Order: sequence, then C-alpha cells, then structure tokens
Amino acid sequence: MSSVGMRRRHREKRRHAAKGRTPGGALFALITHTARMQFRSVIVWGLSLGLYSAAIVATFTTMDAGQMDRIADGLPEGMREAFSLTDLSTIEGLLDVRVFGFIFPLALTFFPILALSGAIAGAEERGTIDVLLGNPVRRWQLVVGNFVATAVSLLGILAISGLSTWATALLEDVDLTLGRTAGAFLNLWPFCLFFGGIAILCSAIFHRRSLAIAVPGFLLVGSYLIDVIGKVSEDLEGLRDYSIFSYYGSAIKDGIDWTDFGGITSCTFVLVLLTVFAFQRRDIYT
Amino acid sequence: MGAVVETEGLTKTYGRKSRGIENVDLTVEEGEVFGFLGPNGAGKTTTIRTLLNFLRPTSGRAWILGLDTRRESVRIRAGVGNLPGEFTLEDRMTGEKLLRFFARMRGERDLGYAHELVERLGADLHRPMRRLSRGNKQKIGLVQAMFHKPPLLILDEPTGGLDPLVREEFLDVIEEVRSEGRTVFYSSHVLSEVERVCDRVGIIRDGKLVDVEPTRALVNKAFRHVVLTFDAPVDPRPFRAIPGVQALKADGPRLSFTLHEEPDALVKLAAQHRLVGMEYERPSLEEVFLTYYGEGEDGGGG
Repeated sequence: MSSVGMRRRHREKRRHAAKGRTPGGALFALITHTARMQFRSVIVWGLSLGLYSAAIVATFTTMDAGQMDRIADGLPEGMREAFSLTDLSTIEGLLDVRVFGFIFPLALTFFPILALSGAIAGAEERGTIDVLLGNPVRRWQLVVGNFVATAVSLLGILAISGLSTWATALLEDVDLTLGRTAGAFLNLWPFCLFFGGIAILCSAIFHRRSLAIAVPGFLLVGSYLIDVIGKVSEDLEGLRDYSIFSYYGSAIKDGIDWTDFGGITSCTFVLVLLTVFAFQRRDIYT
Repeated sequence: MGAVVETEGLTKTYGRKSRGIENVDLTVEEGEVFGFLGPNGAGKTTTIRTLLNFLRPTSGRAWILGLDTRRESVRIRAGVGNLPGEFTLEDRMTGEKLLRFFARMRGERDLGYAHELVERLGADLHRPMRRLSRGNKQKIGLVQAMFHKPPLLILDEPTGGLDPLVREEFLDVIEEVRSEGRTVFYSSHVLSEVERVCDRVGIIRDGKLVDVEPTRALVNKAFRHVVLTFDAPVDPRPFRAIPGVQALKADGPRLSFTLHEEPDALVKLAAQHRLVGMEYERPSLEEVFLTYYGEGEDGGGG
C-alpha cells in the first residue's frame, strides 16, 4: 500500500472513529430484549410446573403417611435409595421424590437448553443473526446477554413455581416453610443453567441447534441414570462422582449445600467463557 | 474524498470445493453509490459477510471507514447500516418494537428519520413480523438499515419483494443518501436499478472481481434483443449488414436479432418499410455476464 493511501486511511479512521463509538447500553438492550422475548415462556413454564408442584402439596393432606411409608418399606433398599423413597411421611420427603428429585431437574432444565441452543445456532438457522450482529454488538455480548437473560427468566420460572407451591402449602395448612421452599427452588437454578451452559457452548461449536439440544439433553438423562445406578449398586457407587445429580443434592430436606452450589455455578461460568472463546473464533453462517 | 471500503487480496474459501471469493481488490469512494453485481452464487454475499467480519478472511485484508474489519468490526458496525440478503427477524415482534430495540443497541434516541422512512416506504410497524408479506418485511429491513443515518449503507438485494412504486421511492431515498455525501454499497442483480442509482459497478463472478467500471460503461456494453414485425416479408440482408446486428432470424414478416450498437441505422432502415410492431428489450444481467464475462463453473456462496 502506498504511503499516500496509508495517510488517507488514517485520516479517515480518525474522522469516522468519532462517529463509531460503541453504545455502552448494547449489552443491557440485548438482555432486556431477550428477556422480553422469553416472557411468555416464563409464564407458561412457571405456571405449568407450579401447578404440578402445588398439586403434590395439595394431595399431601389426603395421603395416609404411614401407609405410604409401609409401601416404601416393602421395596428393595436399593430402589428406595435410588428414588429417595425413604421418607414419604413428610412434605419435604414427598416433594423431594415427586418434584425436586425427578420432574423439575429433568423437565425444567430443558428451558435453558432450548433457550440457549437458539442463541447462536438457532439464530443462524433462523437467519436472524446477521441483522443482530449488524448492530455494534460484540460477540461476547451476544453470548453473555443471552445467558444472563435466560438466567433471569429461569429465576422467574422458579419464583412462580415456588410461590405457587408455598401458597398452596399455606392454604392447605401444610407445614412447609418459605425459607425451605425458596432454598429448594433456588437450588435448581445453577443445576439447570449448567446444562444451559452446555447448550450454548454446543450452539457456538456445532452451528446446528438440534445438536445443541441433543448433547445437553443426553448428558442430563445420562447423568440422572448414572446417579440412580450409583445409588442402586454399592459396587458402582463411585460413578456418582461423575453425575451432577450427586452435587445437586436435596435442598428441600437438607437445605442448600453452598459448596456444591458454588461449584456448579463455577462450572457454568467456565462453560460460558468457553462459549465466548469458541464463538469469537468461528465463522457465522446463515 | 477517501476510501470508505477498501480490500486488498481479500480471500475467503470454505467447503470442499473451495467456494468463496478470491483476491478481491476493491475501493469504494466516499459519497458514491457502488453497485456490486454478479449472478447468484458469484460471491456477493460472501464478500459482504467477510467485510462485516461474520466470515473470517482466509487471506487478505479489508478496511471500512478506515478501520480494520478484523480488529475493529464493532466500531465499523456502529457506522454501517446493513441489510442482509435474506432479511429475517423475530416472528413475534412488531416492526416498532424491533426498531426501538435496534435504536437502544445503537444508543440512538431520535427515531424521527425512521418514521419518515416508514411513511415513505409504507411500512407497517404494528403487525408482528410473521404476519407481514415478504415485501413488507423488506421495508422494515430497509428502515432498520437506514434509520440511524450511517456514513455507509451495505445493502444486499435491497429491492427484493418491493412493488414498483415502493422501489422507486426507495431509489429516491438512495439518491438522497448520496446527495448527503454518504456512501452506499449496493449489491444487486437487477440491471435497471443499478443503472438508475449507481455511479460505478464492480462485477464479481466465480468469486473473482472481474471488472470495475462506471455504470454508463456497463449499460452501453449491454446489447438489446430486437424483434421487428412488418406488414409483409422483407429482405433480411440489409438488416444483417447493419453494424452490431447479430444472430438475425427471418420468419416471414418478422425479424429477430440482437443489436450491439446504437439503434440509429436500424431505425432508419426499418422506417423504409411499414412497421407494425417493434420490441426492443434489454437483456437480463445474466445474459450480459454470459456475453461479456464468459461462462464458468458456479462460484462462491452468494
């Protein structure tokens, strides 16, 4: 390139740079936009799971606790351990079996998986990513913005479900404290987001939303099965170390284990960092 | 005036067949409307996506507004209005909400020009995107690309789906953009539009920039399809002898041929007979490419 061309370029660069300041609010705008887009899903997911959980609480008063325990006692010990059927006479034990140990972690996790698989690969498949990135938004902002918005939306779902559950307990005069309920629902937050983190990482790597759903979905079910097998068989108990379910624990009965809570959160943070790293270095296709 | 878009040996290859663009050297000056022409699959969209850093160049470099497209793409996009070739937005949102979202992303508070454009183009901002026709979606796309009055507009097939009246209004807007000293990078395969608004054209084929020239030169290159119908059969030999007449076919009173020169001699000769019908058609750009830029295998990504 000629020196004249270089000078001209630098002159142009200075002139246009003043116009080309990046608006500081791009990330905030992205977060609020994504959260708004997810609002309807938050209501649907929150009410659906909240109603299910509330129904479990409502039926507790009609159950014969002693009979439930006797039925559970008739099952093999391994099976009782595997499915946490050791304490069905308390509302905490029942919720642990029917809500927090099975339906919620397996179903609710698909909210962040579906939302974050669409953040990159889904936007490429829909063709919306070109318009979005035509704006002065950095790639890391797209990743973080989507993740933060989904985390906030997930919190909204948990709040709706938690309040439905606790309010039902209050109305039905079931002995379930707000603190214990809030802890149990909050404990789902990093757990679900961990799989959301895997989804957005896959979304950044594979360019295909179906893979970004399938991989974390497979890991979720696989992790659950490993945990169950580890509980059933003493010989395979060591396998549970490889399952996130063993770190998820049972907050409704034991309260939140903040060490595990922090550990899962840290792993999720690493997944988001890896996503930023992967997304920065690849082409965008539509 | 200086270069607003500049590339040096810009190359992007992908896929097993090494599709993409190869050694594109291009300069777009400030204040001009630059037509970027090529058949489908020639590499127009690949070039634009590489300029916007959606695709990483395999080799070569590019600058927009004097900024390196790899290192300073965010600052570049602050000064660029972009309309992708396949314009798609979130189905559930209305145009109004989307425009407000884009304005927040850009830190732009004044939507006055956006609403002026909406009115001129007849865009519907109040219905969800999924309920809009292709043309109405395209209008929203044009508004989102232009509402912040960027120094550079990059428009990929901007008139797709627009009806003729709206297309004319849009081309008026483009002329106003030029009169304001702003620059337009206009990718298209519609020759009439390019002729109307573009100062210069770059022609890309099979991923290679084969020519850059003033629009007038390209238009003059283009031959015409001519069909003359007389009231009785005429001797085709004088017509065949006119300079620029090629591929003449005589079918009774009807003569059809291509004309590669000005029509003056032809009109004078035809006027010696009783002419009952005359068709004088511009070829499609595809034909111009095949005629002047040769045939070859399909190239890049669009």
